[in-house]
This record gives sequence, structure tokens and C-alpha cells, in this order.
Amino acid sequence: MFIEKYGKYLLLLPGLIIIVFFLILPLILIVIVSFMQIFTFREPTLTLQNYIDFVASPQTPTILLNTFGMSIGTALLTLLAGYPAAYVLAFKIESIKIRNYIISLLLVPFFIDWNARTIAWIPILGESGAVNYMLQALNIVREPVQLLFSRWTLLIIWLQTNILFAIFPIYLALIRIDPDLINAARVLKAPPHRVFYNIIFKLSLPGVVVGFTFVFVNTLGDYITPALWAGGIQVLGLSISSFAANFVWPYAATQSTILILIALAVLFVLFKIVDIKKLVE
Amino acid sequence: MGVWNFVGKVYIAFIIALIYLPVAFMIILSFKSGASISFPIERFTLDWYIKPPTGEYAAYLSLFYDRQVFQALQNSVVVSSLVAMISMFLVTTLALTLRRRIAGRDQLFYLFLLGFLTPGVAVGLGLNFLFNLLNLEFSIWSAAFINVIYAVPFGLILMMARFNPDLLLYEQAGSSLRASPLRVFRRITLPLIIYEVISAAILGFLLSWGEVIRTQFALKGIGTLSTFIEVQLGVNPLTPKWYAAGTLLSVASFVGLAIFAYLLSKTTR
Repeated sequence: MFIEKYGKYLLLLPGLIIIVFFLILPLILIVIVSFMQIFTFREPTLTLQNYIDFVASPQTPTILLNTFGMSIGTALLTLLAGYPAAYVLAFKIESIKIRNYIISLLLVPFFIDWNARTIAWIPILGESGAVNYMLQALNIVREPVQLLFSRWTLLIIWLQTNILFAIFPIYLALIRIDPDLINAARVLKAPPHRVFYNIIFKLSLPGVVVGFTFVFVNTLGDYITPALWAGGIQVLGLSISSFAANFVWPYAATQSTILILIALAVLFVLFKIVDIKKLVE
Repeated sequence: MGVWNFVGKVYIAFIIALIYLPVAFMIILSFKSGASISFPIERFTLDWYIKPPTGEYAAYLSLFYDRQVFQALQNSVVVSSLVAMISMFLVTTLALTLRRRIAGRDQLFYLFLLGFLTPGVAVGLGLNFLFNLLNLEFSIWSAAFINVIYAVPFGLILMMARFNPDLLLYEQAGSSLRASPLRVFRRITLPLIIYEVISAAILGFLLSWGEVIRTQFALKGIGTLSTFIEVQLGVNPLTPKWYAAGTLLSVASFVGLAIFAYLLSKTTR
């Protein structure tokens, strides 16, 4: 009977309706609008002109390089900084209670309001901020140093706000490794670097990939932090939002389509190489 | 190996310090007297929180007397509460279905993951197109739903990773004894996953509480407190007032997270 066969899918219905209406339809419309000459749904003229404009624009290489370079760079740096922390947490701190406290402590700042997290850097790195105050008090510099508004500021802020996402999945992958595997390798006199690379690192790869995904996606979609703190660096999200604010909707849609396509392509390749479902099973 | 253990622990302490540094500065600055945000701080005061208005420029009103802040806060609470309830319901229904090896399970899982993987700016723009096409107006509800599709994947992963492996067996035992599906859910399933269900709600609340980009695209007017501050930062001088607002928002998040952590520690796994 119909109910018996499809009944188990019935509970999916509310979720499916909401995701179709609030995600899938908007994404389809973005692709359609990206081919429009002028934004109108009544007899629109479809054209490839927006894509040609995008490819031909002299700014495009810089924007793409900034966007994906900064995101991938931040993700790699965050993983590099987060891996040792996850390793210590998983293998060097025995008490599970203390581990959980540390994880909770790491969790807090991510849920703190976005504005609060970023404006807090002004009194630290600004021209009359704490770092410059200390440098001047110690007579290291005479004039305030410009520390804000550069790619490095952006990198520090992103590292600080995202490092939890690198640590947590790697930690989850590490604690799933059977200690017997590590002991067996040690008993067989494998040198420490090979134990680490061949066993620990390879088995933690799903966690590394999930961590990369989190940081990559978070930074890719965030255009407000670069706008405020990176001294006018052009990223795709920022460009989309300014075209959208000026109602140049088709071109904003073209850029959105490209942003989504490249982002999903990167993630697709990663998910093909590493099976991330191992982390939840 | 004692040295390395010590270095490792120092490193963890360093990471925690790095993460908390801005938070600490935000809290300190919110109690600073005077409008500038430079160091050193001469005097600490509660002016930016509760000083009665003296007819000054709106940016220098204290939080407690700024009407717009209250409206925005009200919007924040309404939007985040809606997100909490809707995503709690969706996460539970989805997780209970997707834990079975049904056909298309992986594809469905990735479909819902897409809500997190798609950049917020693109979802927001697309939703603008859809509402334009259907002649719909943005409201509290659109702001809630755009955050729901972002929050659901987090809750889904959390709940699916923590399911008791014997849950299905207990449910079957209930069904064999002729309990109706609703009764099985109420008497067996729900009590066993209740902490995850509440956690999913809190996660939805917290994720939407600090979200700026998605909410900004789907809510017109004064916005939530987060989007309101974001706009104010662009047009008004930066005074300790905004640090005070950030501190209040953060205190709310902190309380939410403490409850969240407590609930997660209650379950056996």
C-alpha cells in the first residue's frame, strides 16, 4: 500500500518543503537571474553577457585570488594551529572531565555575537590600542604602528573565530583511533614520525577535511570582516553585496553562481578523496 | 616525554588565551568612561549601560535608554526563539527518518548539509529574488527560516552522532506490544533523546542569535540586535556603547551555551 511504502518518508516532508522553499528555489532563481540582461521575470531576455563581463573584467583575477586564496589560506593555517591542540587534547590530557571543560571553553567565543568579536580588535591592535600603547611605553616605537587593516588582521581575526572548527572535528577523529593500533606499531619499533604519519594522521583525515570544510565555508561567505578589517581588499562576497545593494541583480547573481560553483567544486573533490561520514558512524 | 606534555598544555592555554583576548577587551572597554576607545583607561563606569539621557546625539545614549536597541533586541529574541522551535522540530523528524537505511538517505543528508555549505550572501540574494517573484514581504518569519536552514545541519549531525544504537530495538519492542506509533514516540523515543532535542533548539537559538549576513538579507527595518549593531557601526562613531551591547549579547550566548553544555553532559554517550 502507498502508506506502507512511503510512510517512512512522510516525516521528511516538513523539512523538505522548507529547504526547497528557502534554499533550493532561491538557488535555482540565482542561476536563472544570472543569465538575465535586465532583472525581470516577465519575458526576460536571457544572455551570456554577464558571464562574459565577469571573465573579461580586469578585476576578476584579483577578486578570485583574494576570495579563495584568503579562505583556503586561513583554513590551512587554522588546521595547522588547531591540529597540535586537538592532538594534546586527545592524547595528553587524560581526564575526560578536563577535556570537556576545555572544549566548552573553546566553544564559547564562536557563539558570541559577530560584531562583538570583531570590534574588540580595535582596542587591541588599533593606533591607540593596547599593543601600540605597550610598544610606546616600552620605547620600542615612537609613533603608533599601523597594525589593523591588512590581510594579516583578517587572517588573525578569522583564525581566532574559526579555530574551534579545526580543533573539534580533528579531536573527534583522534579519539576514535584504536590505541592498540598505535601500541602495535610502537612494539614493532616503528619510529615516532612514522607512527604519527602512517597511523594517527591518516586516520584523522576525515576530521581534518571536516575542519577544512567548516573554516573554508565560514570565511568564504563572510564579506563583512574583509570589508571592515582588511583595508579594502576585494572579495567576491563583498562585490555581490554591493551589486545587490545597488540593484544590479543579474550581475550579483552571476557572481553568486560562480562563488557557489567553485565552493561546491572544492568540497566535492575533498569529499571524494576522504569519506567524512566515518566521523559520525 | 614530560617536557612535551608540558609544552602541549601551554599551547592549549595559549589558544584559549588567543580566543578570549578580544572578548576580555570587549568587556573591559564597555565599562570605560568617555567616548573614545583608546588606552589607557582612566576611569571605569556604568554610563554606557544605564546613564539617563541628557538630550545628546543618539549614538551617545546609554543602552538602557536607547529605544532602537530595545526594538532590535526584541526582534532578536523573537527570531531566535522561532529558529529554536522550528529547527528543533525539523531536526527531530529528519534525524529519526534518516537514521534508518532508507533509499536516498545519503543524498538527502547532503541536501540538508547544503544549508550550511552555501554561502549566506548567495542564499540571501536568492531569497530576495524569490520574494520579489512571488510578491512576498520580508518579515520576522523569513528571517527565522533563512536561519533555520543554516542551523538544521548542525543539529542533525549532533543528533545523529549521538543516537543510542539500541533505540530502534526499544521502539520495535513497543510496536510489538501494539503501541501506536505516536505512543511509541512519546513513551520510548522522546524520553531517550530529549536532551538532544533540547540541545538542537538551543543550537538553533545561538546560531541565529549572532548571525548577521543571512538575517540582513531577509529582514528589513531595524533588524535584530546583531544586524542593528552592524549598521550602526557603519554610520556612527565607535563608542564604548557598542562594546556594552556586545557584552550583553555575549552574556546571553554564554548562558545559552552553559545550559547546552550541561544538557550534553547529562547523556551517557
